[in-house]
Amino acid sequence: MIRSYQAELVKLARRKVLLITAAAVVVFAVGGALIVLTSVKPAAQAGPGRALSLEQLAGAGGGTQIFRTAASFAGTFLFVIFVGVVAAEFSRGTIRTMLLRQPRRVRLLAGKLAALLTFAAVALAATETITWITARALAPGHDVATHAWTTLNAAGAAFTDFGAVMLWITGYAVLGMAVAILLRSVPLALAVGIGWAGPFEHLVQNAWTPAAKVFPGLLLEAFVAGGTTDISAGQALARIAVYATIAAAIGAVVFARRDVTA
Amino acid sequence: MTSTPVLSVEGLTKHYGGRVAVDALTVELPRGVVAGFIGPNGAGKTTTMAMLLGLVRPTSGRGTVLGEPLDRPDRYLGRVGALVEGPALWPALTAFENLRVLARLGGNDVGRIPEVLDLVGLTDRAGDRFGEYSLGMKQRLGIAAAMLGDPTLLILDEPANGLDPVGMSEMRELLGRLAAEDRTVLVSSHILSELEQVSDWLLIIDQGQLVYAGEAAGFAARASTEILLAPANDDQLLTLADVVSAAGLVAGRDGDHLVVEVNGHDPRPLAASLNHAAASAGIVLAELHVRRPSLEANYLRMLEGETR
Repeated sequence: MIRSYQAELVKLARRKVLLITAAAVVVFAVGGALIVLTSVKPAAQAGPGRALSLEQLAGAGGGTQIFRTAASFAGTFLFVIFVGVVAAEFSRGTIRTMLLRQPRRVRLLAGKLAALLTFAAVALAATETITWITARALAPGHDVATHAWTTLNAAGAAFTDFGAVMLWITGYAVLGMAVAILLRSVPLALAVGIGWAGPFEHLVQNAWTPAAKVFPGLLLEAFVAGGTTDISAGQALARIAVYATIAAAIGAVVFARRDVTA
Repeated sequence: MTSTPVLSVEGLTKHYGGRVAVDALTVELPRGVVAGFIGPNGAGKTTTMAMLLGLVRPTSGRGTVLGEPLDRPDRYLGRVGALVEGPALWPALTAFENLRVLARLGGNDVGRIPEVLDLVGLTDRAGDRFGEYSLGMKQRLGIAAAMLGDPTLLILDEPANGLDPVGMSEMRELLGRLAAEDRTVLVSSHILSELEQVSDWLLIIDQGQLVYAGEAAGFAARASTEILLAPANDDQLLTLADVVSAAGLVAGRDGDHLVVEVNGHDPRPLAASLNHAAASAGIVLAELHVRRPSLEANYLRMLEGETR
């Protein structure tokens, strides 16, 4: 697993990848902070949805809550990245090349997932920091009080928000990897993944409210939002854990047993 | 060459649904040989190689590779270098980066990368992206990747694909060098003339079944050497055939030539005596040469014999 982890990091820690990621982090952090702050309203005027209230933002965790809320809008995008990265290994035949070096298939997968999550963790830490800095600079212009953002409680909230977003991303990563392993084709995996996580779940939710407590994509959204009126964050996390365990088990068994012929 | 086989399989079989890709293959490969793996398209060469490399699970059968059981590729793949179904590497990464990924994955010394790049003549292009490489360069990088772990056994599926004549010559030389280092090489190719020049052992399969396994020289001996004769005057071809018959030999006609099967005789003295007999009969020969059967000719003859 360590070898697979190190090999994956060689691919990720290239100058071009780092530059593109850095640019994406800055754009996302600045843009996300701006969008969240622009939509902020007093609690009395706030409607349903993921918009934060002025009162929420004035709390110790307000600065990093902006990061968490902004991140929640990127779920489908992240899912697509994980599906694409893994499915491309099958489409290009590089999974075959990798298995000739590391025939212990589950370890290969685990190392790859761990490396991708490590990379995501570093990018998220940078995003959280830049989002906080940007939000703090822009907050006065949106009547948001920030004096509580630099307290010890704020640091604790920052870690909590970072952990929540990492768990959320891990959920997408495991589900995305399972979809990619089962379908083995970039276009097919993306079509199914986007179709499911995007329109399908939301359309079903419109017609059938309990979908928010059942579908994995909606549960991930509910968890990162800190819970919804339909389901608490803790319940959502527990159900996501079940989905992730099942997806990981199916992905690992299929990958370990299936012939690699392309 | 030692008596311990580098790989040995018994009853190796692979079914894909109702189709039999490899059918009860039983074969051993001695250590230190360059073995040409020959068969028509779809004969089961790549599937066999994939089973030896742990990529494809056999339907039945057993075997060992480098003394380890076939179902434990983790125990032997570290000593096996392979290129199967073409080089599949990451197009956005440079050659050096690709090898670095594979060295890390295989637990190999990253310091060997310059050495293997030099081995395949890609040192000057190490910084170029794999996606920008020509097919021949990709093949060579695939072989460099196979060599990263300093393998005892090399399994190469069509390594000459996409190589120009110079590249093929270099590949021949490389395979010869690897064999001289006491490595065992199993190499498939559809260019039989290439295999003929490098192989000292042959595995031939057809429709998933083993047709021949043994020394290349033994396979060549299955077909007889021929002597070709052509008179300077085409009108004397029938007279020349009578001369050959009078010598107790059977001649067949091939255009304006006569083809005489040597059938166990030493071909050079026989050719000399035919030349003498022809001259005595007043026939001037425009051509007289001994034709040893090529691997391709032998192979095609064998397949024809099977299909009859």
